[in-house]
Order: sequence, then C-alpha cells, then structure tokens
Amino acid sequence: MKWVTLLLLLLPFTTAAVTLYAGHRNEGAVKGLAVGGSLLTLGLAFVVAVPQLGDAAPETSVFTKTDALEPVISLATHVDQLSAVMILLASIVSFLVQLYSVGYLHDDPRYPSYATLVSIFTGSMLTVVMADDLWMLLVGWELMGVCSYFLISHHWELAEARAGAVKAFLMTRTADLGLLFAILLIGDRTGSYRITDAVVSAADFELPALLLVVAVIGKSAQFPLHSWLPDAMPGPTPISALIHAATMVAAGVFLVARMYPVFDADSLTLLAVVASITMLVSAFYALVTNDLKRVLAWSTVSQLAYMFAALAVGAWSAAVLHLLAHGAFKALLFLGAGSVVHAVGGRTSMTAMGGLREKLPDTFTTMTVGFGALAGVIPLVGFFSKDAIIHAGLDEVRHHEVIDEQAAWLVLIAMLVTAALTVAYSLRAWLRVFFGPVDPDLEVHESPATMRVPLYLLAVPTVLGGLVFVDPSQVLGERGEESLFHGSMAIAMTALVAVVAALVLYVWWSNDGADPWAPPVEELQPPEDLVYDVVLVRPLHALARAVVIHDREVVDSYANGAGASARGLGWLLRLAQNGSVQQYLMVVVIGAAAIAVAAGVLT
Amino acid sequence: MNAVLLNSLVAAPFVVALLVMLVGRRDQGSGVGLGVVGSLAVLGWSVAAVLEDRSVDEVWIASMDVHWHLVLDGISAPMILLTTLVTFCCQVALVRHAPDCGGRADLAALLLLIESGVIGAFLAADMVLFFLFFEVALIPMWFVINAWGDPHDPAGRRYAANRFLVFTVLGSALMIVGFVLVRFESGTFDITQVSGASATAAALVGIGLAVKTPLWPVHIWLPDAHAKAPTVGSVILAALLLKLGTYGFIRFWLPLVDPDSAILPVFAALATVGIVYGALACLAQTELKRLIAYSSVGHMGFVVLAVASYTTIGVQAAIYASVAHGLITGLLFFAAGAIKDRYGTGDLHELKALYGAVPRLAGVLAFASVASLGLPGLAGFWGEMLAIRAALFPHEALPQETFVVLSVIAAFGVILTSAYFLRMMRITLQGPTLSEPKADLHALEWLAWSPLLILTVLLGVAPGLLLKPVADAMAGVLR
Repeated sequence: MKWVTLLLLLLPFTTAAVTLYAGHRNEGAVKGLAVGGSLLTLGLAFVVAVPQLGDAAPETSVFTKTDALEPVISLATHVDQLSAVMILLASIVSFLVQLYSVGYLHDDPRYPSYATLVSIFTGSMLTVVMADDLWMLLVGWELMGVCSYFLISHHWELAEARAGAVKAFLMTRTADLGLLFAILLIGDRTGSYRITDAVVSAADFELPALLLVVAVIGKSAQFPLHSWLPDAMPGPTPISALIHAATMVAAGVFLVARMYPVFDADSLTLLAVVASITMLVSAFYALVTNDLKRVLAWSTVSQLAYMFAALAVGAWSAAVLHLLAHGAFKALLFLGAGSVVHAVGGRTSMTAMGGLREKLPDTFTTMTVGFGALAGVIPLVGFFSKDAIIHAGLDEVRHHEVIDEQAAWLVLIAMLVTAALTVAYSLRAWLRVFFGPVDPDLEVHESPATMRVPLYLLAVPTVLGGLVFVDPSQVLGERGEESLFHGSMAIAMTALVAVVAALVLYVWWSNDGADPWAPPVEELQPPEDLVYDVVLVRPLHALARAVVIHDREVVDSYANGAGASARGLGWLLRLAQNGSVQQYLMVVVIGAAAIAVAAGVLT
Repeated sequence: MNAVLLNSLVAAPFVVALLVMLVGRRDQGSGVGLGVVGSLAVLGWSVAAVLEDRSVDEVWIASMDVHWHLVLDGISAPMILLTTLVTFCCQVALVRHAPDCGGRADLAALLLLIESGVIGAFLAADMVLFFLFFEVALIPMWFVINAWGDPHDPAGRRYAANRFLVFTVLGSALMIVGFVLVRFESGTFDITQVSGASATAAALVGIGLAVKTPLWPVHIWLPDAHAKAPTVGSVILAALLLKLGTYGFIRFWLPLVDPDSAILPVFAALATVGIVYGALACLAQTELKRLIAYSSVGHMGFVVLAVASYTTIGVQAAIYASVAHGLITGLLFFAAGAIKDRYGTGDLHELKALYGAVPRLAGVLAFASVASLGLPGLAGFWGEMLAIRAALFPHEALPQETFVVLSVIAAFGVILTSAYFLRMMRITLQGPTLSEPKADLHALEWLAWSPLLILTVLLGVAPGLLLKPVADAMAGVLR
C-alpha cells in the first residue's frame, strides 16, 4: 500500500511531463494522455482512499527524509478518513474536468499546456491532502497557486485575465507567508515538522494558529482577501470548477480541519468573525452581480465561509461534509455554466442569457439540481450539510463550548441571513439563465457528450449525497457524529427556503418579470480593491521608481568620486527641505532596519 | 594521487584555455569545439575530484608563509560542481552564437581562464591564495565585458567594465588588508588555523566581500556590468563570480567574526535592505537584463542574511541559495540573451506576447521566473526559506528581536520578488498584440540549458542532496 500511495502522488506529475512532451506533436495523443492519465489517477485514488474510509486505522508512510536539518524534513504521507475523502474529491473532479475540457477546449491551440497544468494541479492537490510533513504540504500548496496563476491567464490576450492572474497569485502568496512562519514556529516548538506530531503536541500554538488563519484567509478568499476569487473568473470555466470551487480554494478549509487540535479559542474566534463577515458580504455581491461566473464565484466565497464558520463552532464533520457536498454541486454548477457559456458563444454575462431551458435540456436539468443544492432544497445534499452546520451554530449559542457567546451569536445570525440570501441569489440566477424572454438572434446548441456526461455524473452525489448524513461515521470513522440529521431543524430550514423563494418570486413578478437586483453598472468592484490600490500598490510603484532614480543619481554619485560627499549631503538637504513621500518611505525602510539593529546591539 | 587530482582541477581549465586560444588562431569554430570538449572533461574531472573529497597542503611561498592549501569539502564541492557545469553550458552556448565582433574562440578561452580562477578560489584555504585566484577570475571578465559586451553601446560597456574592475579591485584591496591584519594577529594565512580576529580585520574583510557579493549599498557596479556583458558573460558573472563573494563570507569571514560584536547584525540589516531595495528597483525596470541583474541584489541579500545568522542552518541556506541562484539566474540570463538575439532588444515594452511569438523560449523564461521568485518545489525555495528560518532563530549571542524583524522584512521581500517577476511576465510574455514570431529554441540551446532546468527541479524536490554535505563540513566554520 505504501508504494501505491507514492505512485498516486507521482502519477499526475508524470502525466504532466508526458503531456508537455507530446505537446503539439500529436493533438489526439495529448487528449488521450490527459484523460487517460487522470483516469488512471482516479483508479489509484480509489485503491488508496476507499480502504481508509470508516473505521480503518490511518496509514502513515515515510519514504525518505533528510537528517541534515533539525527538525528533519521528510517525504511522508498520512492517509486518514479526511485525506481519503479529499483524495476522492480531487481525483474525481479533476478527471471529470479533463474529460469535459476535451469538448470545451476542442479547438484551443493552448490545450497541451492547459492539460499539463491541470495534471500538475491534480498532483499538487493530492500532495496537500496526503502530506504528513508540513514542508511537503507547503510545496503542494504553492504549486497549486502557481498552476492557478497560469490557468487564470490562459487567455493572456485578455486584460482582465492578466490582471486577475496576478492579483490571485500575489494575494494568496502574501497570505502564504502566514503558513511559512506557522510551519517554522511549529517546527521550533514541537521539534518536528510532521502534522501527526503537531496535533498531539502540548506546545503553545497560539501564534502559529493565528498565522494559519491568515494563510487560509488568502487561499480560501476570505475577507479581507476575498476579491481575488471573482477576478479569477476569466480563466477557462472547467478551471473555475476544479480550482476555484471544488478543490484549491477548499484546501484552506482542509488545512484547518487537518490541524484542528492546534486551533485554540482565540484563533477560532478570529476565524468565526472573518467567516461571518465574508459569508454576508459575498452573498450580497452574488445577489447583485450580472456575470454568471462571478455569481458562482461569490457564492463559492460565501460557502467556504460557511465551512469555516462550522469549524469555528466545533462542527468538524459538518464542515468536512459541506466541503465535499459543495465540491460536488459547485463543480456541477460551474461545468453547467460552462455549458451555457459555450452555448451562447463565450459570453458570461447573464444579459446574454435567458429562456434557455428548452434549448439546453440536459444543462437545465442538472443545473437545476445544482442550484437547488446550493439553496438548500430538501432532499439535495446541500440541504443536509447546511442544516447540520446551522444546527451546530445553534448549539454553540446555547452552550458556547468553543468560542465565546458574542462570536457564537454573530456566526449564527450571519449563517441564517446568508442562508436566506443564498436562496435568493440561486433562484435569481436560475430564473435569469433559464427563464424569461429568449434572444431570437441567438444560435444555441446543446454541448457535446464529453461535456454533458460529467454534468450527470456530478448530479448523482448532489442528489444522493444526503444519505451520508444519516450515519457520517460510515465515512469519517470515529470523528463523524452518529447522525447529523435533525428533524426540527429540517422543518425550520425548509420553511425558510420556501418563504424566501416565495418572496423572490413575488418581487420578480411585481417587477414585470425582470431582475429586480440587476446592478446599475455592469460589474461592481469591491471597495477593498481601491483601498489596496491606494494604500499599497501605488505607493510601492512610486517607491520603486524612486529607488531607480536614487540608484542612478545618488548612489552613483559616490562612485564617481569627487562630488560624492557634496552631492550626498545635497540629497539629504533636499530631502529635508522638499523631499517627496517616496524618498521618505525608502528612508523609513532603511531606518526601520537600522533601528532594529541599534535596539538589538545597544541593549 | 589526490594532490594530482586537485591541482590539475585548477590547472586543467587554464591549459584548455591556452589550447583553445591557439587552435582558435587557425579556426574559431574548432577552437570553440575544443572548448566544449575541454570543459566537459573538466566537469567530469570535478565530479571525480568531489568523490575523492581530500585536501592538499604544501608550503608555497616560504618567506611569507603562504601555503598551497586546497580543501575540497561539503562546502566547496557544490560550488566547484556549479562552476564546471555552468562553464560547460556557456561553452555549448558559444557554439551557435557567434558574437558580432568575432573572436568567439578567444571569448571561450577567457571563460575557461575565469573558470580556472574561480575553481582555485573555491578550493583555497589560504587567504593569500584565495585573494590571488580571485584576481585571476576578475581580470579576464574585464576583457569579456569590454570587448564582447553590448554591441550597440561601446561607451556604456567600457564604462561598465571599468566600474566593475575598479569596484571589485577596491574590494579586494580592503580584503587583503584585512587578511594581513589577521596574519599579524594569529600568525598564519591559513584560515583553517584561524579562530577569531579583531573587529577591524573582520570589518575590512567583510566590506571587501560585500563589494563583490554585492551587498547594498555597494551594489552599483552590478546592474551595468550584468546588463552590458555578453550573454555568456552575464551568466558567468551572476552564476559564478557573485558566488566568490558569498563563498568568501562563509569560508573566510565567519571564522573571523565574533558573534557578540555588532558586525553580524549590521551586515544582516544591509542584506535585508538590499532584498527590499533590489526588489523595488526591479519593479520599475524597463530592461530585461537589468531587471535580472537587480534581482541578484535581492537574492544575494538572502545569502548574506543567512550567513549573518551565524548558524549551521544559515550556512546550509547560504550554500543552497548560492547554488540555486547560479542555476536559475544563469537560466534567466540565457533566456534573456536568446530573446535579445532574436529581437535585438531587451526593452520590456517592445517585446509583446512572447507566449505567442516564441512559445518554448517564453515558457523557459516563465519557468525560470517562477523558480527565481522562490516557488516551493523548485531549487530557489529552500535557500530562501532556510535563510528566513536562520534569521528567525539566529545564534544565541545575537540580538534575537533584531533578527526576527529582519526575517519578517525579508519574507515580504519574497512577495515583492513575486510582484516584479509577474509584472515582467505580464508585459513581455502576455498581451493582446504579438511580436513577430521567430525561430523557437534551437537544439543547441536546449542542450546548453537543460542541465540547469533539470537541476532546478531536482534540487527543488530533493533538498537533502545539498544540505547533508554542507552539514558534514561545518567543523571549524563557526566557533
């Protein structure tokens, strides 16, 4: 079994190398390699993961390690129930996406590099979910980030694709510093970089846990780093399904779930507050956005916040099951959206859609199931997972065992309001895409079979996934509760869904069948972006220009001999008299370092 | 037998250089061919020597007590292998790219001469020997920049070459004064016999090495020299000559410094400012080779920060980051040179959507860029990660809070590094309009670059390869 695990890790990377090598030599072979490689990965994933479900003991393997460092860095895997379900999610969705992409990108000249990156991504995600060594996890974590960057900018001729890719990479990488320092501190305090050691350690994890929260805020696009995910939508739609909905962005939730014992009340409170703000803000954006893919992206941000909220109130298994459920129905929704976008000629704005239910019957059926699950309609999987989470929120308000009372109330209220908003925006998107007037000029055709089959395959867990909630321990072993199904909660939530749906339909009807929430401008840009631009991006660029001028004029002056001291002094004098902001900033950087040294040396 | 192996490792490139020059008189092409074969032989020889792993110690100049003391251990071995490999890659690159002004066999010979000096400096355990070999490596580089540099700007390349020489020789002068002071204090030029020196001596040697590394604010010779040199010259400068400085810090500076003195925090702070300053300078560059040149200032900052932590992990980080920088920046300069060959410009705004125009070349540049910004899983990551770690947990005699602050600033430098590489890729590799498509990568370019590509991945996934030998060789470096 040990070597099968290693093989599972290496296979996607090998597939990537072979796909890249085959490149443009043989178009057909590349498609075969990409789909065949991911099918093989899927097969191995079942072999590795299925025996680990339920009551099985986790399997830990160490392949190699370097003892030249203290603590050692090792190539080690740990496959438990959580890893197993994540392995299955990642390999299933990535296989379906590879299959779907054959149709979606059938005449795209950049297909070989695309397929290569998807394979590398799959390998990276598997690395993250199987890693026992934190450095190994970090390698996978950031490789996913770079694959995401390249795939968002797949259409690099589009300005928004270039901008979105850079934004996604820089925002996540900045947050990743949290993970880097968390790993360094954990290694220092426990004497080991192994996750299995950290979670049983009694060391002080207060600071590392806060740093881990920073890292997942970036990766899972939570407030205040939430705006990169909607901007990542210019990437090909299958990528949005795989990376920006089902797997990579959910890796933040996975990381918290994996390292759960490390988190104390402080870090969970921070997580609760962040999640509450995020789920509300992004659900609101989802309601007033015109672009179908951006609606789904905001909804992803909101649902990820739901998972974090669940973790913050101690509902570990509900969070994990919602992650899986969301992975299935959101991948379904994105692939369905891709099918719609494909049908209407590549446009993603919902103004180009409407009345498509008869022309795209398969897409309509499957997306209806997906939207239903997102809204929490009984008996779809989203209904069960959301109920379990809200029930846990209610429990926490009653008993506040994990976080304090105010935070628990905040989480519960945010969850209820978000649940209502979710029903509203799901219904709105569904109505705008599939109902209303049809554009008569539109040449619409249903997608090819390679695109429709994945939709139906994803609809299966979306419809039947609720069965897991009857006895989660069958999947998650002893960490799964006996039952996550609560009758009274189910009735209350179904009433909520019905009332909100009725309200939406009433508003819609009284607005003469037009969308009451269409934004006045085509797209709203979150105000945080402006803040980052003014506070961070522009000063940095100004500072950079100042450095270049400084390097040419001032530092050069001392190289050129005679005038050195005079000019250097002149610069200082000029600075004192009318120095610009940029030069002050550089002085501040140098000064900060100097003060740090002086403080250290003199005391 | 071991003595022969080591001595001839220094002598062999020198002999090959002479032969290349002689043969080149008759026919430039066969001269370069000989250079390729010769440098391959030296590469093989260096592998054999590393496997033997011994040292030579004989009296050389008795009156001054200068020893011919060469040491090949876990610290020098990676640098030696990097040197022989990169020189081989440069020789292969010369086969196809004849400089406009001709004389490529002479250029090949000069590179081999530099190799000889660099190998000698990496092996030397005697301070005078280190100094001499250092100079042997510098002088040919002046010719390389001055004669084969940027053909469009003769005045600029002369200026760059002169400034390079003036600065580095000035650095050497400070360094040798420091070495002589050490000789007075401890009675020997043999660094393995020295334990500690006065603050003045340590400062002089440190400043001398800081010029060569280079460390902010004495880095200003670097951007011009790297940008004006011919492609192979830039590669050798970045991959090898800068490493003389960083290696000097490890081998000839650490044994001199007192961890209780203020010198380590000061150097660490200069290194950290250099990380931020270099990254900011890159963020506003408009020329590809200048951008890569400035990126070296930042990367060398990480190396010196690691060294200044005065820990074994710091030295491991410094060697790792040095080797990784050699591979990755070599690759970056090769790619930048290939782009300049094809388009006659390195101006970022004149190069448009190279992903579409020359996809494979653009792909290599993108790969080297993400490697250089420290992506985990590629070689650049471990050096910088370990440097940050070393600064976070420095030697116990050092001011802990200072180093924590510096390590956090350095970590944000990583983000700035990502920012300027992404900016460069966004301007030159992506975009709505394409530059004119040109011939994509040639087989000889693949041959010259593939060792660097492969090692960048290999050292990214197997850090133990390089960490272990360094750890084993640490005796005597730190007090």
